Amino acid sequence: MTSITDTSDLKKYLETYDGPEVRIMEVCGTHTHEIFRQGIRNFLSPKINLISGPGCPVCVTPASYIDEAVYLALEKGCTITTFGDLVRVPGNVKSLQQARAEGGKVKVVYSPIDAEKYAKDHPEEQVVFLSVGFETTTPSDVISVQNAIKDKINNFALLTANKTMPGAYEAMASSTDAYLYPGHVHAIIGTQLCKDMAERGVSGTIAGFTGEELLTALGITVMKLAEGKPFFVNAYPRVVTDAGSPAACAIVDKYLKPCDAEWRGIGMIPGSGVELKDEYADYDARKKHSIPKMEYEKKTGCKCGNVLQGQIKPNQCPLFGKVCNPDHPVGACMVSDEGACSAFYMYGGQS
Amino acid sequence: MCVGLSAKVISVKDGVAMVDCTGAKREISAELLDNLEPGDYVMVHAGCAIAKITDDDKSESEKVLKENQA
Ligand code: SF4
Repeated sequence: MTSITDTSDLKKYLETYDGPEVRIMEVCGTHTHEIFRQGIRNFLSPKINLISGPGCPVCVTPASYIDEAVYLALEKGCTITTFGDLVRVPGNVKSLQQARAEGGKVKVVYSPIDAEKYAKDHPEEQVVFLSVGFETTTPSDVISVQNAIKDKINNFALLTANKTMPGAYEAMASSTDAYLYPGHVHAIIGTQLCKDMAERGVSGTIAGFTGEELLTALGITVMKLAEGKPFFVNAYPRVVTDAGSPAACAIVDKYLKPCDAEWRGIGMIPGSGVELKDEYADYDARKKHSIPKMEYEKKTGCKCGNVLQGQIKPNQCPLFGKVCNPDHPVGACMVSDEGACSAFYMYGGQS
Repeated sequence: MCVGLSAKVISVKDGVAMVDCTGAKREISAELLDNLEPGDYVMVHAGCAIAKITDDDKSESEKVLKENQA
């Protein structure tokens, strides 16, 4: 093979690739979004299939979680603080947007750290932060609890639905030939897991987020797949080191413990979540505000589960674009910009 | 919600850094990174600097391509 040295070579290679058909799963919602936004799907050879995997935290948050948040807002009078894209996600009963219209207090914040500051400044309110996300956002959630302890406030708690990637990688391995690993998850957990996966025959490349980085990661992935041996490449070394962030892992281990987690549309993946340890129960909204058990998910016809596992493309869902669109999302994948259905809709992705 | 942004550190004090994120100034947690100094570039997620960044994406790409082709 002639050697590829820059992006225009990469683009040509990906455009004209004519080897065996390959499936590459971009795990991360931001990758899904960026690949669409930069028009990369438009020129990829038809032999390269991209699957939008389960890495949008909003999309994999179960409807029952939204029900819990709505319950806290309407029944317990808590102030819900959250990232903006969770506000419109439908629960089994209603969304937080609807709860807000009914008088619930729902406040969009930039970060959990800001949510804790808000609680400190509003001692008369019981503030709950909706703690969803993967390894990348979890350290911030934990820092907010650490700050609450330091500030000696008792009106701040997390409603946790934090998830961890290793279980999902295992669960989805048969849906893809290689993963495009989420760069910022591995900035925290390092690269050992990917090396172990390659030893077990599961290939993948850690990718960054710029056009240059995505093309490089995709190009390397296709080239390596064509060689036919399991592989792992870190194509984002300016941010991801082998060790990751020991400081982030240490602080997360101090406050959180593993738990089983429900992934919207996929189901339970054992050990794929984290929750506050018992000694921090005062900061765990479920325990502190005694939330009753919510029913997991009612049937809506949404096919997010199949989309997230690469079994169908969003536009193969019978509701896509008709009943379900960004103004009236039926499933979470249509709400967040990082969701596969939303990205398909926004960029007219018919591929 | 997961958008990571690169930002330049302006000042650091007591585990909190002031950063410049393409013109917008913001306070973020510097809790996870030791020895952060003004002028460093960091990747910011959910109000927290998660990693120091080195190099630009162009030289990174050249290096990765060189190392991974027979
Ligand atoms: S188009 Fe809507 S209903 Fe269909 S899978 Fe996507 S989010 Fe669910």
